[in-house]
Amino acid sequence: MDKRLKQDVFEEALKSRPLASMPRSITMDVMARIPAKQRLTLLTWSDFALSSILAACIAALWFAAQHLPPILVTKLRIQGILLYQDFLVNSRWLAPSLLFGLAALLAAITIPTLLKMTMDHRR
Amino acid sequence: MAATESLIQRAQKGDQDAFAALVEEHQRYVYNLALRVVRDENEALDLTQETFVRAWTALPNFRGQSQFRTWLYRITTNLCYNRLPNLRRSLNDLGDDIMEEIPETNFNGPAHEFESSETRTHLYKAIDSLDTNYKLLITLRYQSELSYEEIASTLNLPLGTVKTGIFRAKEQLRKSLVHLEESWINA
Repeated sequence: MDKRLKQDVFEEALKSRPLASMPRSITMDVMARIPAKQRLTLLTWSDFALSSILAACIAALWFAAQHLPPILVTKLRIQGILLYQDFLVNSRWLAPSLLFGLAALLAAITIPTLLKMTMDHRR
Repeated sequence: MAATESLIQRAQKGDQDAFAALVEEHQRYVYNLALRVVRDENEALDLTQETFVRAWTALPNFRGQSQFRTWLYRITTNLCYNRLPNLRRSLNDLGDDIMEEIPETNFNGPAHEFESSETRTHLYKAIDSLDTNYKLLITLRYQSELSYEEIASTLNLPLGTVKTGIFRAKEQLRKSLVHLEESWINA
């Protein structure tokens, strides 16, 4: 009997190992754990409730804005103009500050990956 | 096979009965893989259960690139990695020598010996006494009947490492059988 045939017989012996029988079925256990584990629909009742509350808040704000006294509206406009002027004065610092903050954030995001790479490299 | 695909599609849409049928169909295979690795019935049952719970959660992402059972094996092995932190390391330590052709294991004894139940029982015991990494590879290759490529994908290992590992595991089994043969001759 040549080596190839012996190899095949050995591999057949390895494949022929019977599967161990399960002490019990786990189907019921798995199914009992499933409903709490996954959201089967895209929208739930809590999503509807939350969006209703948000819509009510927006509507209340809009309604309040429509009924403000004229003097208060004028004061708000003045404050808006002042805020815009402040922005124009300070805007030359805004772009560099934002870019620096963004760069710092991106650098911070890479830290966990770099740490993992370092640990893997040490292994 | 078509029935399984239909069950998967129904389960992906949230049909729990279809998923229960999938659990019923595949649990024994998942349990056996887990049992070979963790060697404890209760822990293997727990791993099997956890595998299916995770499978249900991840089912919408299953695109059918691999067989469903192979996908389940991937979840199981990831859970095994979590429980046995040294397992992944020991698999990685097998090395990634690229073995294009796997050398044949050298047998000297007559092949009909494998037909005897005693030899087979000894072979199965020898598999059980292998290191966990080798046992996992042998189980995936011969009991789960995955290809080398599928094992590499399941365990997230280079193909060369898988081939090397299985070759070494078979060498250990061969040595074990040679010892048995010698003990018979001496007896």
